[in-house]
Formats: sequence, C-alpha cells, structure tokens
Amino acid sequence: MTAQILNGLIVGSMYALVAIGFTLVLGVLDRLNFAHTEVFMFGAFAGLVAIDAGGIWWLALPFVFVVGGLFGMAVEFISFRRFEGDARITAALSSLAVGLVLIDLTQKVWGTEPVGMTIPGYVTTAGFELFGMRVVYVQLLILGVTLALMASLHLLVSRTRMGRNIRAVADSPAAASLLGIDVRRVTQDVFFVSSALAGVAGLLLAFRTGFANTDVGLTFGLKAIAIMAIGGMGDLRGAVVGGLLIGVLEALTFQFGVGKLGELVVWVTMILVLFVRPEGLFGGGVHVKDVRA
Amino acid sequence: MIQDYLFFTGINILLAWSVYVVLLTGNLSFAQGAFMAIGCYAAGIMTTRYGVPLAVAVPAAMLLSSAAAVLVGFPALRVRGIYLILVTVGVTFCVRIALENVAYTGGVEGLKGMSGTRLWHLGAAIAAVGLLLFLLSRSPLQRILDAVREDDRVAASLGVNLTYVKLLAFGAGAAIAGLAGALYGHYLIFVRPDNFDILVSIFVVLYVILGGVNNMWGPLLGATVMTLLPEFIRALQDWRPTMFGVAIVVMLLLRPEGLLKFRQPSARWSGHAGR
Repeated sequence: MTAQILNGLIVGSMYALVAIGFTLVLGVLDRLNFAHTEVFMFGAFAGLVAIDAGGIWWLALPFVFVVGGLFGMAVEFISFRRFEGDARITAALSSLAVGLVLIDLTQKVWGTEPVGMTIPGYVTTAGFELFGMRVVYVQLLILGVTLALMASLHLLVSRTRMGRNIRAVADSPAAASLLGIDVRRVTQDVFFVSSALAGVAGLLLAFRTGFANTDVGLTFGLKAIAIMAIGGMGDLRGAVVGGLLIGVLEALTFQFGVGKLGELVVWVTMILVLFVRPEGLFGGGVHVKDVRA
Repeated sequence: MIQDYLFFTGINILLAWSVYVVLLTGNLSFAQGAFMAIGCYAAGIMTTRYGVPLAVAVPAAMLLSSAAAVLVGFPALRVRGIYLILVTVGVTFCVRIALENVAYTGGVEGLKGMSGTRLWHLGAAIAAVGLLLFLLSRSPLQRILDAVREDDRVAASLGVNLTYVKLLAFGAGAAIAGLAGALYGHYLIFVRPDNFDILVSIFVVLYVILGGVNNMWGPLLGATVMTLLPEFIRALQDWRPTMFGVAIVVMLLLRPEGLLKFRQPSARWSGHAGR
C-alpha cells in the first residue's frame, strides 16, 4: 500500500512537471500549447542522444533542459507569435500540427518501437529498504529533480525580476507593455521554461521505464492537460497538487485491481471537477474571472 | 479497391461535417472519433447480438451517441473557452479505454460479424446530411449560430440561450459522427478500439481546417482531397503526418488572422444582409 502511494507520488510528480508547463503558458499567455506533450515525448530521445554521445548519464538532464527549452521557443516562433488577440484556437491548432510533425519525424529517425535507454544499473535497479518498502534510487532521483525544479520555478516567479515581468504579463499584457516590459521577451521566457520542464519530465519518465517511447506524448502527456484543468487553469500550485493527487489516485485504483480502467481516473475526475467547481481545485488562476459564461 | 477509397472518403466527409457543425458555435471537438466509435459499437451490438435490422440500428446508434455527447458536453459548454477541447480529448480516451477493457464490447479483440452497408447507403447518408446542412445555412438557426460564434456575450444579451445552442450543435455533430460509425462498422465487418484512436479525431479536425470553414463545402473538399491524395501519391502516404502538419502550419501562417475566421456564411448563401 505505502509502496503504491510512493509510486503514485513519483508518477504524479512527473505529471506535475508537465502540467506546470501547460498551466504556465495558459496562465501567462492565455494559449493552449499542444506541442507541449511532444516536447515532453522528445525529451527522452534528446536524452538518448546525449547519453550515447557523452557517456555520463546524468549530464543528459541539463542537456535536455536546454534542448526542451529551445524547442519551446521554436514552437512559440512557429505557432504562436503571429496569432495574437482572439485567435486562440488557431494557435492551438497550429501547435497541434507542430506536435504531429515532431512525432512523425522522431518515428522516422528512431522507429515506432520503444528504444532502450543505457543507464547504469545502480540507478535503475539498486535501492534500499525503508520502513519495510523498497525504494529504488531512480525514484529518489525523480522526486529530487522534480522538487528542485518546482522550488526553483517558485523562486523564479516570486523573487526575480523576470518573474515579476511574467506576473505582470499574466495580469494584463497591455498594461505590462505600457509599463515598458518587453512582452515578446517574456513570452519567449515562459515558453523556454515550460518546455524545458517538459523535456526533463520526459527524460525522467524514460529513466523510470528504461525506454524512450514516441507514444507517451499522446498518452501520458495529454493527461497533464486534464490535471491542469483539475488544479485550476493557470494556477501553479494547482498543477502540482493536481498532479500528485492524480498520480496517487491512479496508483490506488491499480492496487484495487481495475486494471487498465485506472487510466480513466484522470479524465473522469476532470469532468467531475468541471461539473462541481469549474474554476478548478484552487481557482487561483487567471481564468477565474471569465470562467462562467 | 476503388470502392474502398470511395467508402473511406465518404466516412471522412461525414466526420468532417460533424466537426463543422460543432465549429459553427465556435467550439472545437476532438471527440468525433469517439462518437463514431459509440455509433459503430452500438449499431454493431444491436445487429449482431439482438438481430435488429440495420435500418433501425443506425438511427438508434445516432441517438445514443448524441445522448452521450449531451451528457458530457453539458458541464463543459456551461463554462467558457477551452474546456470543451479538454473534455472532448478526455472523452476520446475514456471511450477507447472502456471499449478495450469491457468484455461486453469485445475488448481489445474488437467486434465482428457486422455487415450490410452498401456504398449507396453511405451516398444517401451524405446526401441527407448535406441537404440538412444546406437547409440549415438558409435558416434563422444559422444566424443564431453565427451570433453565438462571433460574440457569445452579444448573443446572450439578445436572449439566446448559449448553453442550449452549443449543446444542440454538439449533439447534432455527435449524431452525424455516430451515423458515420454505424455505417463504417457494417462495412468493415470487423472493428477494434484501435480504429478510433485520438489521431482519427485529430486528423478529421485538420481536414476541416485545411478545407476551410466558411461553408459546408470546405470540410467536404478538405476530407475528399486529404483522403484520396495520399492514396495516389506514394510519398505523401509515407510522410502523411509531417505533410499534414506542415500544410496546416504553412496555411495558418499565410493567413495569420486564421482560417477560423468565418466569412458570414448565411449572408453569402441566402442573400440576406449578415449583420
């Protein structure tokens, strides 16, 4: 039971990393970035390249952070820069198309089958006993990295000049630009940070499963969209708590033997939340004010 | 072979129209593949297990997928913005996972034994849906839909019940998708949950975007060209998602205001002043 909960927290922390990226872009720029799930998927393959080229497996993490971020900026340039104002759906569709291209090109290079990661065994299989449950080092790695990234993001948004600019743009792009903030620059920053987190999450998932897989964007990654809605659109705390909550709930439903039906948990929860509390669990996001028709 | 091409083109035309109907109120649905699955399985179970004639099973399947759409659409359409996109993505996953894991629907193995769809059935269905859409484009309802899409606050202030109108369009779209599904299953004889992957729903939306959404002919054109072209050009078949993706991105970039800007369909088609 406790082992299941630990597992749930670990999966949940990866959900949270992806959901943070969605919610950051949505909260600050009011845009849905569908290419996000595929940057997440590509993170594992970028890590694969880094490990095969460099040999030091953990150096793949900072590498993927940068590659993911650059992909995010590219997506912003292709799919978002030219669609301003009311063209939300247009931008979302354009990013969806970019995501499809990214899947297809990745499959052209690495094939459609999962590709094994070469990570040392002392990370993926070794571990220790804690209160009678087995903890594998890779689980600690995932928790440690996600917690460190979340804490740094929190500090970035709440304490730095860049974070202040981001909050200003989230509040009102027009007012921010009148006050001399370079909105385009902030947009790029937001895309870089959100996609960098997604890339790292993708690599962490590959560390855990041992494989880089082109499917994860449309399965694992899209769940983060639902988690964003559960936590409250544009709310960073909501994304974290929602991710952990769904991770644990899923782990528990698997425990109770409903098999693959556990995959339904996240979507059913999202629909229920929309029914009962459309602004999400926290409701602190920027969408609160116009959530009701 | 040529018959199969025509058949899949026809199914894609129906699906594209089902996306178009929902889009008339400004909402994007990624669940048309799921509603197609509901229609397909509902009709298939009725005909193979209970001996219901196809002519009864098809309308019943349409009603059923429409009812499912209204049920899940209500919480999403009550609120604004992008919620319907999220809910429809969710519905697509839920339906697929449910079909794969419930023994009654045949699980991963799928459902088999349906038969009876002839090509002219599909032709008649397309003609009927096309005629309804054409009549719609000349009716007062089209102007209500236009108003809801262009500015829902103004429409609401004029006494339009937004939730009702959006649900109506969403339910009608699901019925068309259910019709496509029921005919599809009884043509293929054997279907699996794989046939209704989220990529099906995504591609149909892309057909509609490529074809244009100014009137009902855009989706028809988009679905026809995009289904037939890869069949005849080999390179396109191998690079299908990349080609589609790049085509969408380029088209959207060339028209930065977006293809989703409608150009007053009711005004163009009926001669009335639009606003």
